[in-house]
Amino acid sequence: MSSTLSLKTEFIKGIWKENPVMASLLGLCPTLAVTNAANNGLAMGLATTFVLLSSSLMISALRNLIPHQVRIAGYIVIIATFVTVADRFLAAYFPSISASLGPYIPLIVVNCLILGRQEAFSSRNGIGRSLLDSLGMGIGFIFVLVVLGIIREILGSGSIFGFAILGDWFTPWMVMILPPGAFLTLGILIALANWYNDPSRAKERRAVS
Amino acid sequence: MSYFLIFFSAAIVNNFVLSYFLGICPFVGVSKRVSSAVSMGMAVTFVMLITAVVTWLIYHLILVPFDVVILQYVSFILVIASLVQLVEMFIRKVSKPLYDTLGIFLPLITTNCAILGLALFSVLRDYSFMESVVFGLGAGAGFTLALIIMAGIREELELAPVPKYFQGAAITMIVAGGLALAFMGFAGMI
Amino acid sequence: MSKMSLSTRMILVLTLITVLSGGILAGWDTITKPKIAFHRQEALKAAIGDVLPAHDTYSSEETEFGTIYIATRDSSDQPVGVAFMAMGSGFQGELRIMVGLSPEMTQLTGIKVLEQIETPGLGTKIVVDPSNKKDPYWFPAQFRGVHVSPELVVVKNAKPTQNNEVQGITGATISSKAVTDILNNQIANIKTVWTSRGGPES
Repeated sequence: MSSTLSLKTEFIKGIWKENPVMASLLGLCPTLAVTNAANNGLAMGLATTFVLLSSSLMISALRNLIPHQVRIAGYIVIIATFVTVADRFLAAYFPSISASLGPYIPLIVVNCLILGRQEAFSSRNGIGRSLLDSLGMGIGFIFVLVVLGIIREILGSGSIFGFAILGDWFTPWMVMILPPGAFLTLGILIALANWYNDPSRAKERRAVS
Repeated sequence: MSYFLIFFSAAIVNNFVLSYFLGICPFVGVSKRVSSAVSMGMAVTFVMLITAVVTWLIYHLILVPFDVVILQYVSFILVIASLVQLVEMFIRKVSKPLYDTLGIFLPLITTNCAILGLALFSVLRDYSFMESVVFGLGAGAGFTLALIIMAGIREELELAPVPKYFQGAAITMIVAGGLALAFMGFAGMI
Repeated sequence: MSKMSLSTRMILVLTLITVLSGGILAGWDTITKPKIAFHRQEALKAAIGDVLPAHDTYSSEETEFGTIYIATRDSSDQPVGVAFMAMGSGFQGELRIMVGLSPEMTQLTGIKVLEQIETPGLGTKIVVDPSNKKDPYWFPAQFRGVHVSPELVVVKNAKPTQNNEVQGITGATISSKAVTDILNNQIANIKTVWTSRGGPES
């Protein structure tokens, strides 16, 4: 089942229309857990994108070789391998990021987003298309993580990427960097996306213009 | 730490779902009916218990002695995937009614981050064998508890006039936020 | 490929994938291992440097209560301090604290909380208190020079008056108390080890 979408759409779709988090609710565990600061969201997004790209490359290259019955076992070994590579890379070259993300880097192994893309896309498409698809999905994932991270960091610590932007008058909303803040922020973001994507609103917009 | 503290901490204070965000996917997907939440919770607790035992043995008897800790993630996830398959086959052979209640949830469990999270956390915290087992039971109990509470609220929510754009995933997240806030009240009890 | 039976093919492909994975990881392990070990060593050295008075080298020694690090100056073989890790439950999870004691085991030379998951903005003040602009590290810093006998005591909402007292964090009494409890416990352990070892004279 080869996709007939143009290459550009293949790439763009993951960023908004089929955004892994907002549209498909995949990969919620890291989305909620590490977004208490924008830095952490960005690092997690990049690590996930790396794993997604390298697994897609490998799996789309091997797709005609892997028997259907054992494909999941094969996929998870490949994914776990690249997760280990990413985990060790961070530990060796960016120890402070590695410390602040802790066990959530190895948990990329079970991020449904990655296994989902392999099963739904890379196992059925060529290397080029698979890489484009993964890149789009990865960027979409990074986008959500960074936006969540920025909102939670501004309200919870009064800073962005570690730089204080709100003055002394601002009392940080502690709850935003705690677990409940993660759920509340994501809930409101999903509702906003629903509102933005609402077809009846789109009709109104067209009518006005 | 005493066994009771480990259990209580994993089940309530540092609830896997509501404070570590592990196992969110089934939390959002399966928690629509209390009955299926109970079955899913039981299946997860069961797999967690076996995972705690097996991954502890693998880590301390194979990975560490042979100095191949780098294979930790690959071996853990392979073991979890095979365990889930074995448990599924075993239950199907042994008891049809049990398979009907738990069986359909088992394939979902492989990619449940709570299971791999459990294995990773017990290595990270240097738990002894018995501590890992108790930790597995506590985490399973906590997961089940969160799932059942959520399912109960969502059954009620179906009758509530939720604003249009908040229907579905958005309101689930908001409710989960409220639950997480409530569970924070337990902090400091350990 | 098509002539092979399915099960042979399954085994073959899975073996290929695992061998590939093992190869990649083995190579990566040799590249990253020394770097990770180096960072760990540096972090340990930095933590020991933070909690002990100025010293030139330290030696480590395994005891039944964990490793102790004995710091000395080049000019003398008398130790200038002993550092060790203390662990225990905080408010929400485990605390790991590097502790420095004077060689006579009477006074703290410093503490540093290395790992914690306390409530942000409250319990995390045991590490750093951003609300106190003048002295964000007031909580850990006040342990320097505090006497450990009979034991460390937290006082609430007041300045310490005795030499074994430290001031608690407003709104995070449990975290403050957890720190002193963990310290008291491990200091008692290390004291027995130190005495059986022959004390500072050895």
